[in-house]
Amino acid sequence: MNIRASLTRRTFGRVITVTAGVAVSALALSALPATAATEPGVSATEIVLGMQLPQTGAASPGYNKVDDAMRAYFDYVNSKGGVYGRKIRLEVKDDNYKAGLTVSTASALINKEKIFAFIGSVGTQTHVSVIADINRRKIPDLFVNSGYTGFYTNPKKYPTTFGGLGTYVTEAKILGKYMKETFLTEKIGIIYQTDDFGRNTVAGLKSAGYTFEARKTAATFVAGTQAGGLDAQMTQLKDNGVEVVVVGAVASAFAAAVASANKIGYKPKKWVVISVGADATTFQTILLDKGIPLATSAFLLTGTITSSHAPAPGDATDEFVTAFKKINKDFNNGPETTWDNNVLQGMNIAYQMTSVLVGVGKNGVTRKNVISYMEKNAAKITSAAFSPLGYSATTHEAFTGFWVGAYDASTVLKPVGATRQMWTTDSGTGPVTELKWTRPAIGADSLPKGFSAK
Amino acid sequence: MFKGKSIALNSLLKTVLFLLVIFFLGKIFDPYNQGQLSVVLILFIGVLSITMLTGSSGQISLGQGALMAVGGYAMALLILNAGIVLWLAVLLSIIASAIAGFLLGIAAARLSGPYLAGTTLVIALAIPSLANRYDSILAGDVGLIVDFGTPPTWVTNLLGELGYEQWQLYFVLPFAGLALFFALNIFASRMGRSWRALRDHEIASSLMGIKSSRTRILVFVVSSAFAGLSGALYGLRGIVGPSVYPVSLSLTLLTAAILGGIRSIAGAFIGSVLVVFLPDWIESATSRFEVSTQISDYLPAVVSGVLLIATVVANPAGVVGGFSHKKRH
Repeated sequence: MNIRASLTRRTFGRVITVTAGVAVSALALSALPATAATEPGVSATEIVLGMQLPQTGAASPGYNKVDDAMRAYFDYVNSKGGVYGRKIRLEVKDDNYKAGLTVSTASALINKEKIFAFIGSVGTQTHVSVIADINRRKIPDLFVNSGYTGFYTNPKKYPTTFGGLGTYVTEAKILGKYMKETFLTEKIGIIYQTDDFGRNTVAGLKSAGYTFEARKTAATFVAGTQAGGLDAQMTQLKDNGVEVVVVGAVASAFAAAVASANKIGYKPKKWVVISVGADATTFQTILLDKGIPLATSAFLLTGTITSSHAPAPGDATDEFVTAFKKINKDFNNGPETTWDNNVLQGMNIAYQMTSVLVGVGKNGVTRKNVISYMEKNAAKITSAAFSPLGYSATTHEAFTGFWVGAYDASTVLKPVGATRQMWTTDSGTGPVTELKWTRPAIGADSLPKGFSAK
Repeated sequence: MFKGKSIALNSLLKTVLFLLVIFFLGKIFDPYNQGQLSVVLILFIGVLSITMLTGSSGQISLGQGALMAVGGYAMALLILNAGIVLWLAVLLSIIASAIAGFLLGIAAARLSGPYLAGTTLVIALAIPSLANRYDSILAGDVGLIVDFGTPPTWVTNLLGELGYEQWQLYFVLPFAGLALFFALNIFASRMGRSWRALRDHEIASSLMGIKSSRTRILVFVVSSAFAGLSGALYGLRGIVGPSVYPVSLSLTLLTAAILGGIRSIAGAFIGSVLVVFLPDWIESATSRFEVSTQISDYLPAVVSGVLLIATVVANPAGVVGGFSHKKRH
């Protein structure tokens, strides 16, 4: 086909017409005007919340269940009449774990969906790209699913952002203490993703007394690129005689690391994994996709050390687990509803959010009130966690305590000692000490205390 | 349009008209669509780099995203490390990416077809590794945090209070105008004609005195300058990092160029509109139905893929080419 060179000049004039057409189309598709309510995303009958996470892409396995779990709990709350009569609607956008897309999805949630607040957004490097804008607009940015300290330890910088996990530094310090006491002679190595998640893990372990050799010999990788396997990194660790491998990375990376180690015949004595990367169901699902049967993946996972602020999803005796499991069964309409740590975390965030909305009162649902309430009333925001929330005017870190566990042969996380022992520390250089705290019981009808539909 | 005028004046008049239309749209659009329109303009500049490189001179690049990254990182480093003001940093980033384009062009002058495509693709794939290898400077996987900031007083005095998206749009607009003006000039000038001659018949163009290697390098330099400008503006949306300039960004630019019309400036704009607004249109169209997220999440990629195949098979000249062809008959 011969396309004439003069095409450009002859047709450029028509671009104006096309531009005008685009303008009309885009306008037609733009969001409806906001309701008469003065607070964005809040009306007499509804509260609109927004979330962004990788629903697709290499980093999505496991985490793509969190939003459906949150929505399931909110649907349950709505089935009880909503919070003071207001139904909760969760709008979700897929950012594919690409920061360039996160900027667009955040804009869509703010300007198109007119959300009241962000809740439970997943990802460290993706959230970095939007946190300044969200805070500039004074939009509550609640229960972020990232343990990166930089988001929470300076509320003057990010006054509207609150954590949804313990920080990676806190967790790594507690795991580091356990390692120091347990692995007295073993050679320790680390694989971590090259963002602040990974670096926080390294920093926490450094506080616990572990320093690793020069970075160029560390087994690093870029988050989201683990789909092709981590053979090179595992070979590196194997060649260096590493006996205990610490993983500061997402679940798909831990699974890829184990699969690669299995492939090259590398059998470290122990894997120690930061909790967000250690979900058993996600691990087994990813390995199954790689052709590794469930029985084999269960065997590979057995003995893996991780920590948690919440009950193990396999703990059938826990009242929150029992309640959330039932809600998940009855209300979760997601494509993948298998009960696991991600579903538990999603449910727990929704439970906490409901608790906050109950706490600010029927006429108090404003952005300013929500932020103020969270800073001043952390003890009143109940949840399934065995740790209190650390929210205050000086820090927006979430859970400050963890217990250390190991997976048994049936892929249930069990405490490493005879009983579950909670440990607590800060994100700085403070010591790791035992945590004495009693979790408040779940509210009546699996709803936060004080819940009212009227 | 604007017949009888000199090339420069003709280009200037078209650019001014373009700027006025976009400025007007910025006034009437809601914040979300203002933001989307600014992304259209940013990608438009990037797609122009492909229009020149592939559409005009026949060289295939699958790594324009990497050149965008060069512009983005240069801009961010100039702002964060050297304290240079935003406007100047963006302009200087054009020079940085032009230099990168020169180096790439030297290699590209010896390559063609799939070899060139493969080489440029490798460069796009290398960006995350480079960012992590030089972590202390490029901030690894997290990236460098920069943004459009707030409008200066003289702008608010002139235009009134601006929302963030509107400021973003009006910041990008002059650069888009600049890119359009230069592109129009190049396409209509002797330089553009020599590029097209090289594309259509290398031997014949050599006989006419066009030095193919030198011309190929020049095209790469100019194209890279456009890509760098686009990348700098794209990074200003919040962050400059590997996940902002993935390989898929290069493919998005190529998709936009093909859908709109790879040999046309108007096509570059229309293609940019399509890739930016297509997900919104699909969401709007499917919102009336109960569509599973397993389908809706992938629908924009599937639709653009189908459109791409349909364009290549049925209408290789893209939207602009089809429109022009229809009018001629």
